[in-house]
Amino acid sequence: MIEVKDLTFSYGKDKEALHSLNFTVEDGEIFGFLGPNGSGKSTTQKILTGILKGHGGMVSLFGEDINGIHKQDFFRRIGVLFEFPYLYANLSALDNLHYFASFYPKEQLRDAEELLEQLEFKRDFLRKPVSSYSKGMRQRVSMARALISSPKLLFLDEPTSGLDPAGAVLFRRIIENERQKGTTVFVTTHNMFDADLLCDRVAFISNGNIVALDTPGNLKEQNSSHSIVVDYLYQGRREERTIEAPKLKEGIPFVYDELISVHSQEPTLEDVFIRYAGRGLS
Amino acid sequence: MWKSLFSLFIKDCRMMASGKFFFVALGSLLLYTLFIHFGYLKLMEGSASIYNVYLYDPAGSLDGVSPLVRLAASQEELDEALAGDTSGGVGIRIIDGRPEVILYRGAEKADRHRADYALSLLHFSGEYTPEAVGGNTPEMKQRREITCELLFIEIVAVGFLGIASVLFKEKQMGVIRVHAIVPLEKDLFIFSKVFLFLLTDLAFAALMTLFNVGPAEAGSILPAILVQTAILSLIMALTGFGCTMLLKDFRQFSLAYLVIALFVATPVFLSANTSIKMAWIDWHPFYHVYMGLKNAFFGMPVTNPVYYICAVCAIILLFGIVGSAFRKEMGREG
Repeated sequence: MIEVKDLTFSYGKDKEALHSLNFTVEDGEIFGFLGPNGSGKSTTQKILTGILKGHGGMVSLFGEDINGIHKQDFFRRIGVLFEFPYLYANLSALDNLHYFASFYPKEQLRDAEELLEQLEFKRDFLRKPVSSYSKGMRQRVSMARALISSPKLLFLDEPTSGLDPAGAVLFRRIIENERQKGTTVFVTTHNMFDADLLCDRVAFISNGNIVALDTPGNLKEQNSSHSIVVDYLYQGRREERTIEAPKLKEGIPFVYDELISVHSQEPTLEDVFIRYAGRGLS
Repeated sequence: MWKSLFSLFIKDCRMMASGKFFFVALGSLLLYTLFIHFGYLKLMEGSASIYNVYLYDPAGSLDGVSPLVRLAASQEELDEALAGDTSGGVGIRIIDGRPEVILYRGAEKADRHRADYALSLLHFSGEYTPEAVGGNTPEMKQRREITCELLFIEIVAVGFLGIASVLFKEKQMGVIRVHAIVPLEKDLFIFSKVFLFLLTDLAFAALMTLFNVGPAEAGSILPAILVQTAILSLIMALTGFGCTMLLKDFRQFSLAYLVIALFVATPVFLSANTSIKMAWIDWHPFYHVYMGLKNAFFGMPVTNPVYYICAVCAIILLFGIVGSAFRKEMGREG
């Protein structure tokens, strides 16, 4: 679906934002693009969505070079959720959706009300102006806008930003549902928790370079110490001991009276990111 | 394409309606009309009264002078009378039996009407027929002049600010960026807005002319007025669009607007309506547009094709600049 070879981009003479990026995204895959602010995430997404021109290297989407692609056809096949919910504040959710939907062929459109219902949007607000919505409600309308044209390729920038935990769970479920319908999803985020739960593969980008690319599971495993911390009681005293995971094959290799807890020492995706990039995401 | 343009147009209408733009335009129309009918014309009525005419005839050679002429005993007395006359008095000095007109207020070229009137008073017997310099009554002349001026101000100021206020709202809401990723010919976004402002300005011009020049006179001059309004409206809407894309916020825009309004309006009004002459005014593009509009109001539309070619070229050039600025804005960070 997406193929990127030696992608470079400069904002000025000496401001190279991307240094020879290489990656591919398969059809129906959820691909995470993770990095801190200023790392080149947004620049990459803008190039992939055809907003930014003048890149070096090769970018191919739907099997066609982005420079030669017919732009209107291309825009008909993609959906984009921006980091901020960009909507007409004086129009209602339905008016916004009908307005943006009017640029697509009718046959590919989904029903706006149905879509908002799936996103658990409060019905009372359907016809009220967006200016009266909370951030979470605006994010739901923005997501509906991105999905209304049934895109084959979905670009999501910080999809769960501004949502409460229940909203974030709902959005992850919706994204997963889209993937099951065959949509390819390119997620740009700081949120390692989302990336871990959602993405089939993730790329870590730092200072315009991809420093790691693999499944979240592999990345964590490759950077794991493969040890386990056991919390236990022995002769009335509470103790803690770290053991190598393979040693567990024969059971707990020490005497104890009672096990309190067993903790895997697998790193989080953020730990792995820091190990590769030398800095955190914020 | 038509479906997209229709959607954009309806959305722009709603944006303008929510920004109370139509309300402001209607308010301006009402205010200008009331001002012309009950303020300006009444004010000018006083000043349109017969001018004082002073005569200094050292040899006393003239007979049959109108009793309206005030005689001065000396050149000093004539100068004093003219200097103290605030109603635009006219002086006549007879040298070797020939009258020489002295105008203290306004240039000679600008005031053939007063000079002609003064000379006619020297031939009270009726042998002298003043030259007709136009078919308008003084009131109609004033109506046309003031309607033209207010229409020019309205398009330069209100239309220009109107497009900026709508666009800055869209910029703040970030929705311009969304248009970058929808299957839409991006130029339609500009076209829709400019077209809407053009329609509004044309409607405004037609109503201003009908209400203030009168339906009987408006019929013959309206087509030419609408052509000139269209030229000015397109130029101002595109300039406003471009400034909005290039400037950060409405505050910066307001400062830029002051400079533009000052540059556009002040020298044009001074040159076109007063005796002040600026050698460079022929290079000022808005002077030609204003004169085009004024001539249209007086039933003498511009026929020089160079003027129209220049106007079309300027509009195409502005559209290109605005298109480029709009594409840059779409790619900007959130």
